[in-house]
Amino acid sequence: MDQEFDITERAGSTPPVIAVTGEIDVATAPQLREWLQRVIAQGESTVVLDLLGVTFLDSTALGVLVGALKRCREAGGDLYIVVADPRIMKIFEITGLTNVFTIADSLQAAGAS
Amino acid sequence: MTDAADVLVTGDRIELRFPARGDLIVLARLVTSAISARAGFDIEELEDLRLAVGELCLLTLHGSDARSGDLCLELTVLGDAISVVCTLERAAAGEAPGPEAAEIAQLSEQILDALVDEHGRESLDGSVRAWLRKRRGGHAE
Repeated sequence: MDQEFDITERAGSTPPVIAVTGEIDVATAPQLREWLQRVIAQGESTVVLDLLGVTFLDSTALGVLVGALKRCREAGGDLYIVVADPRIMKIFEITGLTNVFTIADSLQAAGAS
Repeated sequence: MTDAADVLVTGDRIELRFPARGDLIVLARLVTSAISARAGFDIEELEDLRLAVGELCLLTLHGSDARSGDLCLELTVLGDAISVVCTLERAAAGEAPGPEAAEIAQLSEQILDALVDEHGRESLDGSVRAWLRKRRGGHAE
């Protein structure tokens, strides 16, 4: 059975690490958008988005990530994406977003501490 | 072992109708997975179809000048291929989609380009009919 959709923030990490599990689609993407907007509005210009537990991602989710990336870069930072599942990585590849996002296959590689 | 009764063959057609709400598109994805497996698609093709049909529903929903009605999904087995048509029916007029919808539609088109053999959409009286076709073992990225 697929994991339930959930968003958590790893306590005490720098830059902040937002971990998502489950399916990010048109139904759940607005929750992720709100979460990312709140973190960025608190003054964090660089965010690590941990998608290691994500089982599905659609174009709505990609739209949210692109919007968050723009806000991070406008604030002088970046949005790092952590993906290990080849199925999820494939969606970034076929939309050309591997050339837009900084994507790592582990939290360590994304510079999260 | 696959029972003959579990297999879908040429001409078999399945229709799914549900209220045109984003949170119910998961139903279209689930049905597509089940139908694709019974039509002989392998696990990778099945995952591609699941994602592609979700995008088809989004294109239909966000491309229409309406925010109500039913999404109707029609899946037909055609030899070594499957055809999926998504339409918005019994829709009332609503707000036109915003610029963000256009960006997402572009991403949907890119995903469909990569995952299926053919796809398209037509506008009909402010509504959209989107369709795709995918062959078993036939699509090279």
